[in-house]
Amino acid sequence: MSTLIGRTAQAEWARIWSVRSSWIFAFATAAAVLGIGTMIGLDASSGPPPDGTAWDGALPTGFFALFGILAWATVCSTADHTSGGIIPTLQWTPRRGVLLVARATVIAATTAVVGLLLVTAAGLVIWAIVPAVGAPAGEAAGLIGRLAFVLTSGALLAVGIGLLTRSTAGALVTVLALMLILPFVLAQLSLVYTWLESIAAGMPGSSALYLVFGEGPYEEMTTTSARITLVAWVVGALFLGGLRLIRGDADR
Amino acid sequence: MISVQGLTKTYGSLRAVDDLTFEVEQGMVTGFLGPNGAGKSTTMRVVMGLDRPTTGTATINGKKYAEMTRPLREVGALLDAGAMHPGRTGRAHLRVAALSNGIPATRVDEVIEQVGLGRAGRRRIKSYSLGMRQRLGIAAALLGDPPVLLFDEPVNGLDLDGVRWIRSLFRGFADEGRTVLVSSHLMSEMQMVADRVVVIGRGRLIADAGIGDVLQGLGGSRVRVRTPRADVLVAALGGATVERIDEREIEVIGLVAKEIGEIAHRAGAPIHHLAEVEQSLEQAYLSLTGESVEYQTSGGTR
Repeated sequence: MSTLIGRTAQAEWARIWSVRSSWIFAFATAAAVLGIGTMIGLDASSGPPPDGTAWDGALPTGFFALFGILAWATVCSTADHTSGGIIPTLQWTPRRGVLLVARATVIAATTAVVGLLLVTAAGLVIWAIVPAVGAPAGEAAGLIGRLAFVLTSGALLAVGIGLLTRSTAGALVTVLALMLILPFVLAQLSLVYTWLESIAAGMPGSSALYLVFGEGPYEEMTTTSARITLVAWVVGALFLGGLRLIRGDADR
Repeated sequence: MISVQGLTKTYGSLRAVDDLTFEVEQGMVTGFLGPNGAGKSTTMRVVMGLDRPTTGTATINGKKYAEMTRPLREVGALLDAGAMHPGRTGRAHLRVAALSNGIPATRVDEVIEQVGLGRAGRRRIKSYSLGMRQRLGIAAALLGDPPVLLFDEPVNGLDLDGVRWIRSLFRGFADEGRTVLVSSHLMSEMQMVADRVVVIGRGRLIADAGIGDVLQGLGGSRVRVRTPRADVLVAALGGATVERIDEREIEVIGLVAKEIGEIAHRAGAPIHHLAEVEQSLEQAYLSLTGESVEYQTSGGTR
């Protein structure tokens, strides 16, 4: 893989896994997802036989995987700017558009794949604890397909916001606000101020939750509209973040 | 060759570099001098594609740095030794650089040994001293064995052994025909290693000449004379420029020692000391940049 984009992607891969924080995020997300999966399995084993399969039981763990990889992707995309490492990075890869594509692709692919593997593992844990629920392969593919879109979109959104803010704290607050806090707060407020409902439905977090659980508080939301909303946020964040990376001075 | 043409860089209302033009030739070490805030680092950052010029161009062997696809094979640079992820090991830092430019991993170990980091390469950068970070930055610059090298204050934090090493490194690179641009505040270092100097102040070019020419530009030779009859000698020197050191000692500018000795002999002024004053680059630098100092201490900078 000796093309420019290939070499840059290899460097990004090495950059992610050569710092301790990546391993900490991966293990912390694994602990949360597998821990929740284990609790769901134990809960199911102690009561009457559940209706769904192991994959239905694993669905809520996708929510925890999402927030684990949001934080991880945010830190990955801001680390160069907070440490000053962007100076050597741009010396080694001065084609900033190439760096943007490689960075966004590798961070999103890495974190999303880890998230999917963990949710799959959580499903298998539930199945191991309650074999009666079953774990049909066809349903696993459906779960993974649904989560893959949400996790990848979430990671790309985090990368875009990270590149835009160039600050880990600022990016984390922004990402968590868009994905968790604002959708929740606006949903509550929209019970009183109904005009806020469309704004709440337009938050990326509302779309992500709808796509994970297949339902939500907003009647007009569909799978297609949720996907379009999420993609629009991702494109917007990557456009603005990419613009700052490509057009701006390296670290000012 | 590095070519900077009509370069201007502004940050808001601050004009960091102002219509700067100079070229750095291959086969020699070029010193890049100027007081704090003169615009040296900004110029280097623009040359390396890190900051965008407001106007003007900066090219390396005819190409903009931002257009290079394997830049480490064409240009090596140390701009800021502190600008590295502290959680990565030195070796991992270089490994990322090597991967990005298709450089074999064996070369990483070679440059680690070359800069003297040795086993410290396996330690995390946050445990490194400034001198070790400088060495790591120099290792990254050497990774692709490039024909053009830029170093911004490379001897900061280096011990005496490191300074001697880097001095011979620069000399060796220039002798191999490479282009070497080094910014430094250590004039004695520059005088020992540079063949040519580019001096800037407040973002503008002040001097671009060989070391010898810069020293010559101070006004020619100076001769220190000590005699108990200094007044007699000063009168005998006629229109020559004389600086009075004390009642027995003077400095004569523009005449050589032999001429002064003969004038003193004719005037009956016994000479107790007669020596040409060696001009230093530091004196030349201070003389050239006197009006261009951006940041001064309350007592003056010199």
